[in-house]
Amino acid sequence: MKKLFNKILVANRSEIAVRVMNACRTLGIPCVAVYSEADVNARHRLSADEAVSIGPPPPRESYLDIDKIIEAAKSTGCDAIHPGYGFLAENPLFAQRCAEEQITFIGPSPDAITLLGNKVQSRIKMAEAGVPLIPGMKGTETDIEVYRKAAEEAGYPVMIKAAAGGGGKGMRIVNSPDDLVAAVEAAQREAKNAFDDDTVYLEKYIVNPRHIEFQVMADTHGNTVHLFERECSIQRRHQKIIEETPSIALDNDLRARMGADAVKVARAADYTNAGTVEFLLDASGKYYFLEMNTRIQVEHPITEMVTGTDLVVEQIRIAAGEPISEQLKNLTQRGHAIECRIYAEDGDNNFMPSTGRIVHYSEPSGPGVRVDSGVAGGIEVTIDYDPILAKLIVHAPTREQAIIKMIDALNNYKILGVRTSKKFMIDVMRHPEFADGRTYTDFIEKNMAERNTDQSDFRDLAVAAAAVASSNAGLTSTTVVAEGASIPEPAQLLGNWQIGDSITK
Amino acid sequence: MNKTEFLYDGEIIEATTEKTGDVLTATVGDKTFEFVPVGANLYATTVNGCRHVVGVAFHDGTCYVDIDSVLIELKEPSEDGFAGGAGGQAGEKDKIFAPMPGKIVKIMVAVGDEVTEKQPMVIVEAMKMENQVNSRAAGKVKAVNFAVGDQVDTESPIIELELLEDE
Repeated sequence: MKKLFNKILVANRSEIAVRVMNACRTLGIPCVAVYSEADVNARHRLSADEAVSIGPPPPRESYLDIDKIIEAAKSTGCDAIHPGYGFLAENPLFAQRCAEEQITFIGPSPDAITLLGNKVQSRIKMAEAGVPLIPGMKGTETDIEVYRKAAEEAGYPVMIKAAAGGGGKGMRIVNSPDDLVAAVEAAQREAKNAFDDDTVYLEKYIVNPRHIEFQVMADTHGNTVHLFERECSIQRRHQKIIEETPSIALDNDLRARMGADAVKVARAADYTNAGTVEFLLDASGKYYFLEMNTRIQVEHPITEMVTGTDLVVEQIRIAAGEPISEQLKNLTQRGHAIECRIYAEDGDNNFMPSTGRIVHYSEPSGPGVRVDSGVAGGIEVTIDYDPILAKLIVHAPTREQAIIKMIDALNNYKILGVRTSKKFMIDVMRHPEFADGRTYTDFIEKNMAERNTDQSDFRDLAVAAAAVASSNAGLTSTTVVAEGASIPEPAQLLGNWQIGDSITK
Repeated sequence: MNKTEFLYDGEIIEATTEKTGDVLTATVGDKTFEFVPVGANLYATTVNGCRHVVGVAFHDGTCYVDIDSVLIELKEPSEDGFAGGAGGQAGEKDKIFAPMPGKIVKIMVAVGDEVTEKQPMVIVEAMKMENQVNSRAAGKVKAVNFAVGDQVDTESPIIELELLEDE
């Protein structure tokens, strides 16, 4: 195999850092972790061939500190950096700095990151390219006749939005022309009160949208392909928690058209490496470009499961100047994959973040069950970072089987000591609306608000199990996690150590 | 036969356990469950014909249980009652302290009441968990210094007892 890089620094933490290191290992490239003082015992640190300490827990002083990351890469002889997602992944200054230091940034060019990071600029560019956008006013206006005309062009219902908007303030849905004037005035008043700025604009209101995104991959030789869709409609606080592919809402024709437009978006931005084009899909099958994410996504594994690819390996190959694999040009979707994000948060209590020591950790296994995890037993979950612990991914021949497999895998995924939203995920999986594929972005507020969180049925069994475990202590070796005895050995965490440096030769 | 007590939602639940070969049996009230250890902290049990793997781990006086992804936290029994015992000074058996700073959600005794050792006295809510504090000696309630809804620290006695002579 051709040597792509000498050594790769992974400028991230937790599950995505571990995931990237796995790809490095697949390619036989040594990898370097960076870690903050809060992550001395973190799984990603112990998964790397080398690790460099980069400072205090606050991200600004460690994982976001460009100088420290570059210095860590240089001091360990790395010729490439993979940024993961979050942190520096979509920072064009970081990508630029890597180029100046002659270190390959495994991702798109700084120009593409800059363009797609600017929502106004990228909308203009994509409109020119002929990609469908949510119809509406280009800027703000005070003349009510302009609103009336824009609403007629977009088609009712429409939405009035505050230019300075956020959190639903200054937002009004208008169903008919009769209500337009009152709605604009109300939105202006609300916007004035909330943001001290009464500027509003109008765009089409998308009824019952689904969040559909397309994975794209582009090399430096002019090849751009898409790897089908992911549906990510199940969101809480506008953050995805369950993703699946294929989407039940797409037929082959719609898939082909959306996929072609996703490729169009990537080409219009001169995009290289892995990226994701996000669309809203409405009930009538119309779709609208939202934005393009210029990184590997949290939910990339479901695409890997149904296409049989390794997207991070592909990212590294492309960054090294290789053309995209022949395999990627002739893909089909095999079966159905679902991902549940496992966050340290209380699914029974409004997703309140939960911190503490993981006193027991064991993963599910079996055919079509994959866990991308950033944690292990004994690790302390702190408030310093995003509460994602791991991702559980299942793959099965059909959606129905994937749902059943996911419920079983969640039940066999034991994380004790912090609260997680496993039970919440199971209740989503079991919901008849989910089973029927009526997955829209308001799914959780619509269907999960009344969910039963009563645990009393489980009380006696819990006490019985606790009593048995307590009496059984001493008979088994690891029942109690003691203070100070908690740092997992690397060998306990990893299944694929290679001894010596022969793998790189 | 082994007796164990746990605190669930402010209530003491007792279980008796027995071991026969690899099978561990626990009885809670009129229900009996059989468990087989299937891994560290993991116990398989069959309820109504369905097999479940229950995860159980202990840490700092709390027992964490996962049954079908339902996460239940129980408090472990300890020498001084529950929740790691009362705070304050060791030996001050005539004073009842909160185990951690929190809010009083229930007071189960009044001035003049005679109480036995290990009798539940007060429930303090901290970090969204209810912690029951028990009497550490038999006696008569001399003073109740706080009311339901009050915030308490671990230094001020919530309840003071007049210990019985023969203690």
